[in-house]
Amino acid sequence: MNSRRFLVFLGSNPVFLVLVGLVVLFSFLYPHRFLTGLNLTTILKQFVTLTLFALGPSMVVVMGSLDLSYVGIWMLGGILVWLLTPSLGFWSICIFPLLGLGTGLFIGVVHAKGKMPSFILTLCLLVVYWGLTAILSGGYSRVVRGYEFITAPLIPYVPTAFLWSLPLIVSAVYLMERTRIGLYLYAIGSNEEGAQLAGIPVTKYKIIAFALSGLFTGLGTIILFQHLGGSVPVELNLKNVVWPLVAIVLGGTPLVGGSGGPQRTLLGALTFSVFYRGLYLSLLHPEILQLLVGVLLIVSIIVGARGIKGVEIT
Amino acid sequence: MKGMTPILEVRDVSKTFDSVVQALDNVSIAVYRGEVVGVVGENGAGKSTLMKILAGVYAPDRGTLFLNGKKVSFPRNPKEAARRGISIVYQERGVIPHLRVYQFLFLGHEERYRGPFGLRKADMRKEARAILDEFHVACDTESFMYELPLATQKMVEIARAVLGIRLESRGEEVTPVIILDEPTAPLTLEERKELFASILRMKERASFIFVSHIIPEIMEFVNRVYVLRDGKLVAHYDFSKDTVTEEDLFRAIVGRESLAHILSEEESSVAPEVVLQAEGLTKNGAYYDVSFVLHRGECLGLFGPAGSGKSEIIRTLAGILEFDKGKLRVKGRDVSPDEPPYIRLARGVGYCSGESGKELFFHWSIAKNISVVNLEKVLHRHFPVIRFKREEEMAKTIVEKLGIKAPSVHTDCYSLSGGNKQKVSIGKWLERSPDILLLEDPTIGIDVGAREDIYGVLFEMKRRGIALILVSDDPKEYALLCDRILVMRKGRVERVMKAKEFQEMAVV
Repeated sequence: MNSRRFLVFLGSNPVFLVLVGLVVLFSFLYPHRFLTGLNLTTILKQFVTLTLFALGPSMVVVMGSLDLSYVGIWMLGGILVWLLTPSLGFWSICIFPLLGLGTGLFIGVVHAKGKMPSFILTLCLLVVYWGLTAILSGGYSRVVRGYEFITAPLIPYVPTAFLWSLPLIVSAVYLMERTRIGLYLYAIGSNEEGAQLAGIPVTKYKIIAFALSGLFTGLGTIILFQHLGGSVPVELNLKNVVWPLVAIVLGGTPLVGGSGGPQRTLLGALTFSVFYRGLYLSLLHPEILQLLVGVLLIVSIIVGARGIKGVEIT
Repeated sequence: MKGMTPILEVRDVSKTFDSVVQALDNVSIAVYRGEVVGVVGENGAGKSTLMKILAGVYAPDRGTLFLNGKKVSFPRNPKEAARRGISIVYQERGVIPHLRVYQFLFLGHEERYRGPFGLRKADMRKEARAILDEFHVACDTESFMYELPLATQKMVEIARAVLGIRLESRGEEVTPVIILDEPTAPLTLEERKELFASILRMKERASFIFVSHIIPEIMEFVNRVYVLRDGKLVAHYDFSKDTVTEEDLFRAIVGRESLAHILSEEESSVAPEVVLQAEGLTKNGAYYDVSFVLHRGECLGLFGPAGSGKSEIIRTLAGILEFDKGKLRVKGRDVSPDEPPYIRLARGVGYCSGESGKELFFHWSIAKNISVVNLEKVLHRHFPVIRFKREEEMAKTIVEKLGIKAPSVHTDCYSLSGGNKQKVSIGKWLERSPDILLLEDPTIGIDVGAREDIYGVLFEMKRRGIALILVSDDPKEYALLCDRILVMRKGRVERVMKAKEFQEMAVV
């Protein structure tokens, strides 16, 4: 029975096979460089970055919408922390979750009540936040000191940021798997009209989804902020926007919603980190790496759109 | 018919799937020139398998095929079947909506019309016109398929099937046999009538095998009928000779008495308490000045042709549409015209539609589909956590009670048959027990057995004191379920009838 369950798991998570395959492949290709403590730590670090960015948005994707504001929250939040730390001290770090929650609520209300497509809305908001960051920072990237303890090493080879992100991961998965909110978000993504008819307050839960997405991103950026160097960039880096999306889709959450979710995103983020790290070791040109990442996104969207249901592993 | 050679005959056909499931067991049928033969049975009785064997989709394990009295091998693919004169019109998804009629008719045969400057459209249109006229299909060859009424779309599909046979057989004389696989499923009552009239006009040009599970349709429309049950041929009636009642046919299909037989003596469950009251309810452009009361345990029918406003009323009650004027009271309290479905549900008004995919979550398990409206029972009392154990138990009770055929309660709903899907839809409301349940086409497109099971559940709901409002296409359904019926016409209530009066009228 247990082996059968495992097969069912594989059938619905084909990316797991990809992950195992990649690990085996890279271990053969770079026998002395891939399975080393240093390299695995780097993979884990990348995994944390992707996961913390993608965790919140993957809830929104389950609902069939899109939230691209995460990089904006990180940038604008960072510059606000830089502005406020001299006057408020340590507690100014709380600006991250507050900004995240506020952003999420705003997006949710405009999207659900104003019937504005979430993709274009959040994309515009991202650009707005980018602009605000540039204005507030005066055009220079700023370094904020005093929060280094967040990533101070505790256990050898395990990034502390990973430990911090564990409670977030657990609560996101719990929320989607075992609570009313999670069930309703899947319902809306699966069949919005049906959700309405089953007596689900659709508008309210859409707002909740975006608020949660913003909140999780906000909490995540407390960790990410230090994890990514403790400084605020003023230039928008597209890969920060695209990579978490790749992790979500690669993990098996289709962009049309209804299935997948944060637990899948973890698998997607890990697979992507291994994939990228393996290519990185190959000494390919960085531009070629970007190209391959784009191809990976397209392939995973095609596989996702064709439905994983047809895949049978016996 | 006897004494003539059938144009198509199969003898002792058997087919087993996966070497365990016996889909067909020694079935023999014959089709004569210029007749409409019915093949009826519940879902899973083997009618689709038989048709697919004739159309070259499946190969049979055993059996012989005769065409015009000559023994031939079974067709190996649909193209070969068409060459021999057999073609099938599927229940749905046969039409390509964004093609024009003439493009659709010749789809796949364009090579005949290739000219020096692309396709010779003028010729295609002319020949399309000719074939549509031959089959008395009234439509413009330039129209898009989706613009046509559903019945006309079916007619074009039938014409296309005959055309395909002619083109494939390349001038050889074959008499087309067209298989119609539940052609009426998506149609309204009027559209069905229209389709039947058109098919009867085509009878000299082709013979038809008519697959269905709607008994009145069969009785009215076909010359002979074969009844399949569990892969076996259990009955064969010739309506020109045998006297057959609907009850006979029902018993042959299902293998037991019908509920109408058993339940006609059931006593009324109506209690005096008024649970819902409408006064002068108006939605401009849809219905005007509708007033009625609904008692606990009563079933009220809204009866009328499509466009009479009955669907709009029931959707207004569900909170999907707003009303413009009038008063609506649920359990003695006025409700506002624009409140959404979830507030109506909190007041005790549930809505259930039989339309496929409207309210079921297809890639969810049965258990999840049931618990989504019963979360209060599934959630932990103090802690926001869904108890999977409880969810599973609840689903098991429902599955057992309604006889839902599925490997387990964790089976995804998309893999269930139509009848079982509908049972899940209804079953979740049985568990929830709202005060009022609105039913829109609760048994549309499902076979008689499943239909009876659902009626059984609805009767149990009435006994429990749930008030029902029914909108349907089937007069018999009203006669069986309803205590009172509002007859609607052009958005107004024409008259109110008691169940007895309506039953007498329905017979006439």
